[in-house]
Amino acid sequence: MRLTCFAWFVCLASPTLALALEANAAAQEATEAKSLKPAPAVTRVDVRPIVAKLKTAEAQRIQEALDEARLAGPAAAAAAPSIAEAVALGLSLPLTQFAVETLGELESDAGTAVLTQYAVHRNTKVRRAAVKALTRTKGPAAIVALEHALADSDALVRGTAASGLGAMKAKTTVGELFLALDHRVNEAAVSIGQLCNPEQCEKLASKLGKLSFDVVTGGLDQVLFRPAVEVSDDAKVKVLGRIREQGTIEGNKFLKEIQKRAVAPAFSARVRQAIDQAVLATAGGVK
Amino acid sequence: MKRSKRTCASASLGLAFGVTVMACAGGSGRPRTFSTDWLDDQGKSIGEVQARLKGTRPSPTSDVVLAVAGAKSEKLLGVPLSGAPPWAFSHAMDARPVLAGGVAIGSGGGELFALDAATGKKLWSRLSGGLALIGAGDDGVVTALTLSRGTGSTILIVDRSGHVAREIETDKQAGDPAVVGGVVFVPWANQYVSAIDASSGDELGRVTVRDKVSRALTIGGALYFGEVAILRFDDQIRRASQGGASRVVIPARELPGTPRLLVPGTEKQPAGATARDRDRLFARPSAPEGPLGIDSGRFYASYFCLVLGFDAGLGQLTWVHTHASDVIGGEAVRGGVLLCDEEGGITVLDSRSGQVSHTASFGEPIQSCVAHADTYQAPQSREVGTSLAKQVTEAVTNREATLVTAQRLLLRELALVSEESATKTLIDIASDPRAAPLLVADARAAIATRRNGITAMLASLGKHYDFLRDVLLSPPVGPIADALEAMKESKGAPLLASHLVDPANTDDDLRRAAAALATLASKEELPLLRRFFAMYRSSGEVDDVGLAVASAAEAILRLDPKAGRALIERATKDPMTGNAARARLEVLLTAAPGALQVK
Repeated sequence: MRLTCFAWFVCLASPTLALALEANAAAQEATEAKSLKPAPAVTRVDVRPIVAKLKTAEAQRIQEALDEARLAGPAAAAAAPSIAEAVALGLSLPLTQFAVETLGELESDAGTAVLTQYAVHRNTKVRRAAVKALTRTKGPAAIVALEHALADSDALVRGTAASGLGAMKAKTTVGELFLALDHRVNEAAVSIGQLCNPEQCEKLASKLGKLSFDVVTGGLDQVLFRPAVEVSDDAKVKVLGRIREQGTIEGNKFLKEIQKRAVAPAFSARVRQAIDQAVLATAGGVK
Repeated sequence: MKRSKRTCASASLGLAFGVTVMACAGGSGRPRTFSTDWLDDQGKSIGEVQARLKGTRPSPTSDVVLAVAGAKSEKLLGVPLSGAPPWAFSHAMDARPVLAGGVAIGSGGGELFALDAATGKKLWSRLSGGLALIGAGDDGVVTALTLSRGTGSTILIVDRSGHVAREIETDKQAGDPAVVGGVVFVPWANQYVSAIDASSGDELGRVTVRDKVSRALTIGGALYFGEVAILRFDDQIRRASQGGASRVVIPARELPGTPRLLVPGTEKQPAGATARDRDRLFARPSAPEGPLGIDSGRFYASYFCLVLGFDAGLGQLTWVHTHASDVIGGEAVRGGVLLCDEEGGITVLDSRSGQVSHTASFGEPIQSCVAHADTYQAPQSREVGTSLAKQVTEAVTNREATLVTAQRLLLRELALVSEESATKTLIDIASDPRAAPLLVADARAAIATRRNGITAMLASLGKHYDFLRDVLLSPPVGPIADALEAMKESKGAPLLASHLVDPANTDDDLRRAAAALATLASKEELPLLRRFFAMYRSSGEVDDVGLAVASAAEAILRLDPKAGRALIERATKDPMTGNAARARLEVLLTAAPGALQVK
């Protein structure tokens, strides 16, 4: 996993951010896997027994159905409409939460509609589960729901939504993510780094010195490792310049980490040179 | 040293004044001074005194404001209201100065001193013997001072040269005296006022007062006795013991804190203002003659930086003045109220509107203030002023934490104001996360009773909790729902329905919103009602949510009887439906006609 604790000080300094990075990394891995390799053939399971149990309206049987669906994961995606229907009709609180989580496991967009409703459930655990599930079921409705969840009263809901929007490549939400970042939704930094255009990336870099260094560089790391077709070398050099301008020890440590991982051909010679110079320039940095 | 022939008791002087010592005396038909075996003479003796003094008005007038200033209370400042130059007198102060006629009496540094109140010119000074200055009166010839000895009192009668003409010692707690025409009126034992001849020390008469009395005051050319109520010394005073004196009292009503109209005249007032000085009542007797009332028909209450004007007849709030700093003293004057603030400002408010009609200044921060106005008339303010609702709004939105008590009172007053802007103010307070919780609770209670301000209510319902946009408190959905339901205002239904699915609303607000929708909802709200019903019929964790589910069901049943009934009947048969919700749904089905059995 490329992004998991790429910078140890990020993980130590900000457990929440570390979690967010992990979530983003997982999402990114999934995306990369889709783009680089042909999608593995998912062996579909026969969901008819699951659906039959869901229709019994008996708590025990529904629980069994959800267990089976969850175990099968995306292979049981065909059961998602029935689970969604059961949720929409109303289940007990524990079953509601379990069903919502299961919909996430199935990664079927058939679950998105009902999950958007439960993303504003009064129970915080259900809300968290729904928002997390939406990051896996995806779709435009999921993006709208996650954008809305950025303003939730619960910090975990906000953080999960922020991470999810990055993983879902929801570029239209960068403005809201900046607003979230300004409101200490630190997970938004990584997502902004994944989604920003050159101007937005520059804006993120301008947060250095205003927000926690670890938080901002969590996002800048994403910027530097994005392909050149998304973020130009010019933009990356500007970001490096911002970090260099800080002239701090923590900036130097961050740049050294980047230096280790910045290898050709993903990184152009120009960017690598800029990294090397920045490392040298910040070597005697202030604390 | 001259000693009275009728001396019957005496105590050690303790003061090296070298004057006549007298404790009590008796004469034919007159009470012995401060005697407690005196039987009420039904006003005979005080009537005689009143007849003797008829036509005699307290001769000197005093229109001046005094302040103790300096970090160590080492200055006495005077601002004459006549426009004459202000003055300053340096002297240690250990008690609040007293304005007695045209004389300012001070105490500190082991001595008592008297100044001309208009000019600050020193008239005399005397050793105090460590006794505490309680009060003083003056008739332009002599000054009477009450000093506390702890277990009793000493009354000194001093002439203009500073010579102590008479000293009276008693084991009774004497209050603040007044002097008129050579007669010293001394309140004592909370119920008597003794009239004592300043030259002889004899008690000429006595009146028993039915209200607690500890002060004798000369105001605007008349003599009054009081503390709780104000009694005028006129030809009705002889009927005082039967409750027939000319008497006026402030109407009983809720006031911020526990303000006092007159500080007990037996209490020593410290040189610096205390918390009690920030919580006061002010009222002025209407006139020396004729029916006794309250000047301008207004009385006033101060509470830190707020000043409230009330109708003296009914006690209704008529205006609110929010001052820039805490008010620590003042006096009701003709046509208004004069206030001193801790920054040294002097402000006169017009009795009718509460608008500022005159300002002056001591020129520096002050420790305390006393004022007296015999003839001063508050100028009429040319400002019209804002509405009462806006004045209250300014006061209740003040962030000063000390004001909460007064703000709660004002909120209740605001609830009685019919202007729509009052509704908006109440909503603003109830939606303000920085407002004191007590104020929010009061505002919410008041909103529910409003029957106007629909525009403000709908605008408020249009808002939702939004962490990113710093809307950190949901609008008062429940109280607004109550009000809209009472007004049968269906325009609010879509907005109320949107709050059913906003998790930031409290359970109580949710219940009340759903209850309002039971009567206000239209078919437009059916999808949200159905969604809410489905989401919470089984997973409502608390009773309020269960009640909200039942209200939603009621609305569904009303708007879509056939399908709605089927939905609800299915829900009652679903074992996952919560018990509380199920019981209510069953009641609902039983109550609703046109049963449609669903199998």
